[in-house]
Amino acid sequence: MPIGVYVCHCGLNIAGVLNMEKLKSFAEKLPDVAVARDLQFSCSDIGQEQIQKDIAELKLDRVVVAACSPRLHEPTFRRAIAKAGLNPYMLEMANIREQCSWVHMEQPAMATEKAKDLIAMAVAKAALLQPLEPESIPVSKNVLVVGGGVAGIAAALDLGDCGLHVFLVERRPTIGGYMALLTDVFPTNDCSICVLGPKMSDVYNHSNITLITYAEVLGVEGSVGNFTVSGVRKARYVDEKLCKGCISECAGVCPVEVPSEYDFGIGKRKAIYVPYPQAVPLVACVDPKACIGCARCVEACPAQAVKLDQEPQDFELNVGAIIVATGWQPFDATRKEEYGFGRYRDVITTLQMERMLNASGPTKGEVVRPSTCKIAESIAFLQCVGSRDSTVGNLYCSRVCCMASLKNAQLVKEKYPHNDITIYYIDIRAGGEGYEEFYVRAQKLGINFVRSRVSRIEEVEGEISLIFEDTQTGEMKRVRHDLAVLSVGLEPDEKADVLGNLLGLSRRPDGFFEIAHPKMRPVEAHIDGVFIAGCASGPKEIPISIAQGSAAAAKAVKLLHKGVLELEPTSAYVDPEKCIKCKLCVDLCPKKAIAVKSPAYVDEAACKGCGSCAAACPVDAINMRFFSDEQIMAQVQAATEEKREFPSIVAFLCNWCSYGAADLAGTSRIQYPTNARNIRVMCSARVDPSFVLEALRRGADGVLIAGCRIGECHYRDGNYQALQRVNVLKGVLEKIGLDPGRVKIVWCAASEGEIYARDLKDFIGELKAMGPIGTELKK
Amino acid sequence: MARDETFKHEVLRLAGAEVLTCIQCGTCSASCPTAHLMNPSIRRLIKLCLEGKKKEALHNETLWLCTSCLLCTVRCPRGIRPKAVVSALKDIAERAGLRSKDAAYEQFFLKQIKDYGRIAELALTGEFLLVFPQGAVQSMQMGLELLPRGKIDLKIEKIKGRDEVKRIVEELSK
Repeated sequence: MPIGVYVCHCGLNIAGVLNMEKLKSFAEKLPDVAVARDLQFSCSDIGQEQIQKDIAELKLDRVVVAACSPRLHEPTFRRAIAKAGLNPYMLEMANIREQCSWVHMEQPAMATEKAKDLIAMAVAKAALLQPLEPESIPVSKNVLVVGGGVAGIAAALDLGDCGLHVFLVERRPTIGGYMALLTDVFPTNDCSICVLGPKMSDVYNHSNITLITYAEVLGVEGSVGNFTVSGVRKARYVDEKLCKGCISECAGVCPVEVPSEYDFGIGKRKAIYVPYPQAVPLVACVDPKACIGCARCVEACPAQAVKLDQEPQDFELNVGAIIVATGWQPFDATRKEEYGFGRYRDVITTLQMERMLNASGPTKGEVVRPSTCKIAESIAFLQCVGSRDSTVGNLYCSRVCCMASLKNAQLVKEKYPHNDITIYYIDIRAGGEGYEEFYVRAQKLGINFVRSRVSRIEEVEGEISLIFEDTQTGEMKRVRHDLAVLSVGLEPDEKADVLGNLLGLSRRPDGFFEIAHPKMRPVEAHIDGVFIAGCASGPKEIPISIAQGSAAAAKAVKLLHKGVLELEPTSAYVDPEKCIKCKLCVDLCPKKAIAVKSPAYVDEAACKGCGSCAAACPVDAINMRFFSDEQIMAQVQAATEEKREFPSIVAFLCNWCSYGAADLAGTSRIQYPTNARNIRVMCSARVDPSFVLEALRRGADGVLIAGCRIGECHYRDGNYQALQRVNVLKGVLEKIGLDPGRVKIVWCAASEGEIYARDLKDFIGELKAMGPIGTELKK
Repeated sequence: MARDETFKHEVLRLAGAEVLTCIQCGTCSASCPTAHLMNPSIRRLIKLCLEGKKKEALHNETLWLCTSCLLCTVRCPRGIRPKAVVSALKDIAERAGLRSKDAAYEQFFLKQIKDYGRIAELALTGEFLLVFPQGAVQSMQMGLELLPRGKIDLKIEKIKGRDEVKRIVEELSK
């Protein structure tokens, strides 16, 4: 069983901290190792060729690469060894970058010792690897797009044109999103609805697109290739097939008027309404909260389309991939109390300004002071309201507001050349094609720029004044304006939480959905078969949202066009000889992959390899093809072979969240002590109590188990199962006389590197207080 | 002048490393109720610290005009505590033995406690104005208004057990 070990320098990323020579000579002496080399960049062509050459010449049958996280380059090296004729699953990686050199930069000697253990653990596991063959399953060629804004529209049209069938689900009665509500758009000042409207009609008329508006997704089952999505279509109280969209007949007789959400409260609509004249589908909708049930619209409708007894309708879809294009919501300006939005009538938001400037908006394109309804002659734009502001928890720049204000200021100035317009800004961010030129154009039009973040707005006798420091002259000023426009930032749509939780998407610290890699995988989610486009993953301009919609569509086509999908062969299997037919595993399985037969039987195509059944089986009749009991046990033993420091910790990290968090701690260079030896498992539920007991028996001072945050498990509820097992284990430890605190379970999302490091540090502190393992037995 | 890195780091140590993230937006100065009296403004003061300009940062009235209302700290979009910067500078100034109005006042205040066991307002104001005569005219005007209303006591009252108070003060000053 000749094993090749390759220790990667990764330039100075690893070699700058760890002693490569020591690691290489350590690896050489490990059992079964035929060759150990250090490579400058193992992932480069030269590195890969060296590995392939050794496989051919030295007849290696398994390979260990000690380099970056397997979450980054495992596929690369699997491909590389497959090219040389090895089964791709005969590879094991030791993570000595994200979880070693990057997090122990100030302790090179101890980090090198830790890396030795990590390599020994990988070699021990590698010796037990088995060749695996991926399975193929048939997949659905349908795609669900959630969100009918510009990103969702772009995705749906591209997918439909490629011949896949699209279900476009939109929460509101019309598609078009926020873009449909804007007036002209930067940097060309062309009319927004004029460019978007035709695309909205294309969606409506496309033979491959089923448009489901005024609907919500309420359930997602299944996995990549075969999702079953359930949802509900809310009652419009209008028959979509009969309504002609004339609206004047029904709304004309409706006696109820309410503020229109499509005008952000400055315009009004009736209880029966279409959101705006270009809505798609152009079908009326009754607002049940406003409707008084007088039924005058029912009588007035010439097509008899109004049905006040309409019921919500459930729907169920089978799709192979899901594109999340749930977009954004404007920052709630009432949270910045010092600006008086909601108290002072002449303080409005960008979106209200957009509607005022819109020729079909509530003021028919006139910019007025809401308090007097007279033309606003002096207008202030306040930038960074709800963006770049830690007091409201939004540290990020919303990216579009500078350009939006420059654009609105230009539109006002062109319409009313004598108006006095001032933009109060911290920095003007005009980074995009034609954007700086657009800024210059605004300056040349005579718009005033004051570098200042306004401290507060005061209203005295109906007149508003801004109080600020002009930071370029150093003057404290108080300036009166007719109208103040708060340039509100973009926040993730709160209503997308439901879908995010159903899919198990993780969120970045800024609250937007996290993509699989911040640079290399811009439209993929952490979950296979789920893609994210547009502002759901962060504030973006229109062209970028469109590009992302198209990119997500291309990714979905790539995934589904063949109609079959190769699955990771990491599933569970049952030894029928050992099975005692207790059926414990059947209820545990989150994928319902274990059949209630005697003995139990695992559907390996449905199994996602979490391993909870293997951990639960009382007679060890279930094992995993990858991350097998023997392999993990071998890692535990290698980790505890030599006690290099106190306290020594064996840590089990779930692949999706906590291992990701530990990687993120690395990429963020968060420094923490070297005590832990990490073992990757697919789910915290994989941790068999026997692994923990073995680690403690062999002298580990503590065992840490880290899973996804409660409620966010990628296998539904594996972390609850892990918690339950840990609680039982603590009882066992107490009985043998060990401190139950030696086993600890923690939760961190993939975005929480800081929390992982903090939890580990806390655990080290607790173990230090307990003393080395066994101290309590002597007492 | 070269950047005084030692000074800069001392301010950061006392006031928090987030001071480094200042974007000079002016929210702090514009929120400050005494900003119109300050020169440099609180925003400039933070810049001076980051530039390591020790002399300019310490020798100004701004430090002593801060009323600790904390509006700057509440509103700063970067989570900086400008008030903490002011406190840090006061601390540094006092350690450097720079005589400030506040410090002088405190000294007279303590001396009276030691001597009489309580404060005699007239004498305290008088002693203080001898050292810092800038405010004398204003103080006198106010004094003349207060006197006929019986708001100022001309006598110096002494308490019993002054020796013990003296001992306490001396003990604390060690």
